Amino acid sequence: MSLQSLLLPATGAGSAAGKTKAQRNRRLLELGGAAAIVATYLFLVLTQPADIASGPASFAALVALGGFLLGAVLLIAAALPTLPTPTLVLMPVALVLNVVLGQLMGATGLPFYVDAIGTVLIAVLAGPAAGAATGALSTIVWSFFNPTVLPFAAGAALIGFLAGLAARGGLFRRFYLAPVAGFVTGILAGVVSAPIAAFVFGGTAGLGTGAVVSAFRAMGDTLLAAITKQALISDPMDKAIVFAIAALLVYALPRRTTFQFAFVRTFRVLAGMSPATPESQPQTQPESQPESQPETQPEA
Amino acid sequence: MPSTLHPLTSLTAAGCTAVITTAAGLWPLSVAVALAAALLAVGAGVGRRVLAAAVAVLVPLGLSLLMLHGLFFPEGRTVLAAWGPARVTAEGLSFALEAGTRTGACVLVLLLFSFTVSAPDLVAALAARGLPPQVGFVLASALTLLPAMTGRLAAIRAAQEARGLVVGRGLLSRLAAVRLQAVPLVLGLVEDAGVRAQALEARSFGTPGPRTSYRQLQDSPGQRVFRAAAVLLTAAAVALRLITAWPVAP
Repeated sequence: MSLQSLLLPATGAGSAAGKTKAQRNRRLLELGGAAAIVATYLFLVLTQPADIASGPASFAALVALGGFLLGAVLLIAAALPTLPTPTLVLMPVALVLNVVLGQLMGATGLPFYVDAIGTVLIAVLAGPAAGAATGALSTIVWSFFNPTVLPFAAGAALIGFLAGLAARGGLFRRFYLAPVAGFVTGILAGVVSAPIAAFVFGGTAGLGTGAVVSAFRAMGDTLLAAITKQALISDPMDKAIVFAIAALLVYALPRRTTFQFAFVRTFRVLAGMSPATPESQPQTQPESQPESQPETQPEA
Repeated sequence: MPSTLHPLTSLTAAGCTAVITTAAGLWPLSVAVALAAALLAVGAGVGRRVLAAAVAVLVPLGLSLLMLHGLFFPEGRTVLAAWGPARVTAEGLSFALEAGTRTGACVLVLLLFSFTVSAPDLVAALAARGLPPQVGFVLASALTLLPAMTGRLAAIRAAQEARGLVVGRGLLSRLAAVRLQAVPLVLGLVEDAGVRAQALEARSFGTPGPRTSYRQLQDSPGQRVFRAAAVLLTAAAVALRLITAWPVAP
């Protein structure tokens, strides 16, 4: 390896062919990851009635663990090499925010998790691929302190991916649209995560969520149905709160910082903001009222 | 105390133990594995930290399982006691015991691994096996950032208190306090990340090509054999469980 090729981007026909091949490989990895997650979910939902009442659920636990973890790892492998350095460096910050805020909320006993603020923040700033990778990696790092979150890596990746799609679609330009996007994301993420709680752990990790599941079980639901209904109550509200908090944090960031991200510039993720140039209007927005920023400025 | 084993050996041992315990699905085995992991943790000098982390995870989970399956298990036949809609059934209690001990064993084994492994060694070992260097950077950076962050949060709180922040008892006052601390924290961290990105970019972090590692890890043939045997044993256990329990279409 010569010094030149370490410092300069390689050009020429050979590297272009290699690039398209690498792109195709990444596309295959993405598709494989998504397929693994969807197939595992369908398999568990279709075979569960025979499994839960009769003896140990370790078969379903193995399938859930294997399928969802494989999917998450494939998604990380597909997304990570494409990310630019500013995004990569921001990922540990998002992981730490997820862990610290999630642990704080887990201790309060409320039926909310609020463990994805950092993931949504990254997804808004850097796009769906970065969001998915952050969600999955953050779960892996958190599992060093709490191994029970590890099987939920695929759900966390889905949240990051959907948050990125919402940001690309302009749902973070208006403050009131962000919780709506969070609500829809929560429905999907809750439904995907429910089989893990049901088959790997046999229940939910918190007392608040456990009480909600108990109520549905008392009405005669199967365990998967009860946990899915509980997820449909908790998760949409939870993700609406998370998206709203992440939106407020993004509005509070200075433009100099947000416009470092090509995703924010290309898709006009934040309304009324033009790239900071010396000729642009002076920044007179008080930082104490960040939420009014996108409402008062005209769309560029 | 960091472990003297190669990090991949302890990772393989912990992962395979967790998977085999899950595949077996027998509560006496789960209890035995959990006890062994707890004893090993005490022996390695991390008993207090592992047990504290495990209790924080397992106590809410265990109580939740006991409430859920102990009181409401519609599939249960052997009713031990009943109050209105709540019925204590033998099947429900044994399901709660099964699920609780299985999770407990896995949590203790994995915590024993994560509290004894040295994160930089683990990242170096994984990078030598073809893990993308970006993953290594993100993992190592996050694990070192976590302790630094608590110190930073304390500094921000001290600064805000010096400016007159008083946390009252009401919910609104507490939320206002969270906002006053969270916004400077996130702004500072994002700003720092930008500076770090420029520094890394100037050192060709983003360009492809081979990397050299400063860390040399000791690996022995014995550990290599152990890893291969553990992976084979785990694969056999999983295959056996999948074959014996494959759901028959109704």
